[in-house]
Amino acid sequence: MKRVLQIIKREYLASVRTKGFIIGLVLAPLVMSGSALAMWLLSGHVDTEDKTIAVVDRSGILADTLVRKAEERNAEAVYDSLTGEKKRPAYLIEIVRPDGADPEGQTLRLSDRVRRGDLHAFVVIGEAVLHPPGDEENARISYHAKAAAIDEIRGWMNGTINWRLRHWRLSEAGIDGSDAEEVFWWVPVDPMGLMSQDTETGAVKTAERTTEAQALIPAAVLFFLMFIMVMMGAVPQLYAVVEEKSQRIAEVLLGLVTPLQFMAGKVLGGLAVSLTGSGVYLIGGILFFTTLGLDDHIPFHVLPWFVIYMVLNVVMLGAAYSALGSACSDPKDAQSIGFPAMLPVLIPMFLVAPVLRQPESAVATWASLFPPFTPTLMVLRMALPQGVPAWQPWAGLAGICLTAVLAVWAAGRVFRVGLLVQGKAPKLGTMIRWAISG
Amino acid sequence: MKALDIEQLTKTFGTLSAVEDLSLSVEEGSIYGFIGPNGSGKTTTMRMIMNIIYPDRGSIRVLGKTSDGARLENVGYMPEERGLYKKMKLRELLLFYGELRGGRSVDAEVDSWLERFDLTSRAREKLETLSKGMSQKVQFIATIIPRPDLLILDEPFTGLDPVNADIIREVLLDLHAQGTTIILSTHDMHLAETLCNRICMIFRGRKVLDGSLQEIQQEFGQDTVRLRTADGSSVLRDLPGVEKVLDLGQEQELRLAREADPQQVLKELVRRTRVLGFEIARPSLHDIFVRIAGPGAEEGKP
Repeated sequence: MKRVLQIIKREYLASVRTKGFIIGLVLAPLVMSGSALAMWLLSGHVDTEDKTIAVVDRSGILADTLVRKAEERNAEAVYDSLTGEKKRPAYLIEIVRPDGADPEGQTLRLSDRVRRGDLHAFVVIGEAVLHPPGDEENARISYHAKAAAIDEIRGWMNGTINWRLRHWRLSEAGIDGSDAEEVFWWVPVDPMGLMSQDTETGAVKTAERTTEAQALIPAAVLFFLMFIMVMMGAVPQLYAVVEEKSQRIAEVLLGLVTPLQFMAGKVLGGLAVSLTGSGVYLIGGILFFTTLGLDDHIPFHVLPWFVIYMVLNVVMLGAAYSALGSACSDPKDAQSIGFPAMLPVLIPMFLVAPVLRQPESAVATWASLFPPFTPTLMVLRMALPQGVPAWQPWAGLAGICLTAVLAVWAAGRVFRVGLLVQGKAPKLGTMIRWAISG
Repeated sequence: MKALDIEQLTKTFGTLSAVEDLSLSVEEGSIYGFIGPNGSGKTTTMRMIMNIIYPDRGSIRVLGKTSDGARLENVGYMPEERGLYKKMKLRELLLFYGELRGGRSVDAEVDSWLERFDLTSRAREKLETLSKGMSQKVQFIATIIPRPDLLILDEPFTGLDPVNADIIREVLLDLHAQGTTIILSTHDMHLAETLCNRICMIFRGRKVLDGSLQEIQQEFGQDTVRLRTADGSSVLRDLPGVEKVLDLGQEQELRLAREADPQQVLKELVRRTRVLGFEIARPSLHDIFVRIAGPGAEEGKP
C-alpha cells in the first residue's frame, strides 16, 4: 500500500503542479465568476442615448399611435422618478411620408441615414396590416437597424403596433375600445414547485415559484462538472501511460512495483486530481451561490451521489484508459484510438437535450442505467426538479460498481501484458485475449 | 545461501522459444555475468527473475523466496532500456524511486550518492536538462538506493564513456565488498572476464556455458597462441596445424588444431619471419563467444 501511495503522490503532484491544471482549476472559475460579475455590474449601465426611429406608415393608421405611445413611455420610463437620473433612452419617432413612386429608393435612403447615425432604425408598415388575410404580402412590418434581430426597440414596436391593430379591429367589430384592455389581458401560467408537509410538525411548506433556468442550470452544471472531472482525472491516463511506455519508464517501475500497484497508483492519482478539482468547484460554487442568497437552488441532495458516481467513474475510465495506453507503442497510436476511447464520455453529451426534454422517458431511464453513462446522466436527471424514483440511483450505483470492478480487473491484466509489448498496436481482440488469459 | 536459483525455466512468445529449460544458480556475494548474442534470452530471463513477465514453466527463487508476483524491496533492477521522468527534478526522482523500493526515507543516501557521482550541483534540475551520460548515472543511482542485497543490471555499461564506466565499476565493486550479489549482462567480454566471478552464456534461449572464467577456458583447452611477428598476419597463410587466425592488428591469435604441436608451429613461423612474441594461452572469452555464436559455429563445442 505504501508503494501505491508513493505513486499516487507522484501522479498527483505531476498533475497539479502543471500550469494547465492551475489555469484550468483556479483561473477558469475566476474568469467565469468575473464574467458573471461583469455582466451583473454592466446590467445597470445601459445605453441611455436617445434613439430616433423613422416610421414609414403605408397603412396610415399607426404612425400617430407610435408617436403618442413613445411619448407616454418616455415620460414614464426614461428618468428615475426619485433621483431624476436618466436610466433608459428616449424613443423619438420621426414620421416619414411613404414614397409611393420609389419605395425601394426610400428604403435605401433611410438605410443610409441609419449607417450615418442620423437614425437608430426605421420601420416600414405595410398598407394591409389591419386586415392581413388574403393580402399577406402588403401586411408586413419590417424593422431595419444595424442589429435588428437583437434590438429591444423591435420588441417595443411589436407590442405597441399589434396592441393598436387589435383595438382597431375590435372597433370595426363594434366592440367598445374601453373593454379592449380586459379582452387582451394576458394571464401567465406560473411555473411552481410542489407543496409539502412536514411529517413531524404538520407544517405546510408552500410551493415556490421556479424558472426554467433555476430548474435546468443546477442539473446542467453537475453534468458538465462530471464531464470535466473525467477529462481531468481519467482521460490523461491514456497519454501518460503511452509516454511512460515509449520512454521506457514503465519497465523501470515494474522492477519496483507490481503492474497492479502501478496501475492502481496511476488511477488513484488521477482520482485525487479529480477530487481536488471537484472539491474546489463544488465548495467554490456553494460559497458563491450562498453569498448571493441563491443557495435554495443548489441540489444538495444530489451532491453525495455526484461524489460517489464521480469516484467510480474516474476509477472505471482511468483503469480502462491506462490499459489502452499500455497497448499503444507511441503517442501516434494513442491519438488514433483517442476518439473511439472517448465515446463513453462523449455519447452522454448528445443525450443531454432529449434527457432534459423528457427526463422520465424510457430512453432517459435506460440510458442513465447503462453503467458508462450512469454517472453523468443519472446525476443530470436527479438534479432536475422532478427527480428520479428512489431505486434508480441505487440500481445505477450497483451497475457502475460491477462495471468498475470488471474494468479494473480486465485493465490490470491488459496493462501487465501491454506495457512490455512493442511494435504495432494490438487489435481489440488481442486485448480481450490478454484480459481473459492474463 | 543462493542469491538466485532457477530451475528448468521456459518462456515462449508465440512460436518463438525465448528461454528453454534454463537452470542456473548464483551464489550469494558473487558477481555473475550473463553473456550471449542479441536476442539470446538474457533480457527475458532477467524480466522473469524480476517477475515482470511470467515463465511458462520452471521455478525461480530469489534470495531464498519463490517468485509470487510481489516485488522484492532488496532487489535492484536496471533494465536495458533506461526510463526516467524527464519533467521531474533529479533529487526528487531519486527519492521517489528509492522510497518506492525501500518503503522508507532515503534522503541521506540520495545526497551521498549524488555527491559521489558529482551530481550535487544538478540535484534541483529537471532530468530533461541532463546529458545522456548523466541520465545513465542517475538511472544507476536509482537502482542502488537503498543498497540492494541483489542487483540485476541489464547492459549497465552501454553508452558510458570510460570515465563514467570506471565510476560505475568502482561502485559495483564497493557494493560487492559490502555483500551485494550482482548479476549483470554485457557484450563487453573483457569486462566479463575482469569483473565477474562466474559467467553464464545463453545462446538461442539455452545455457551453453556456466562457470568461472578458468573453468570455461579449461573446458576449451590450451589451444590458443598469441603472436607478434615482424611481418604481421601476411606470413600466417596456410600455416600447418593452425585452424583459424584472428588478426588483431599488432597482434594475432592462432587457434591450433586439436592434435597440433605448438613447437612445430613456432618452428615454421621462425622459418617464415622474425617472431617478436609467442605465448601459448587459453582462449579468451571473446574467442569462446565467437566459437559458440559466430557464423558457422558449432553450438557450445570446445
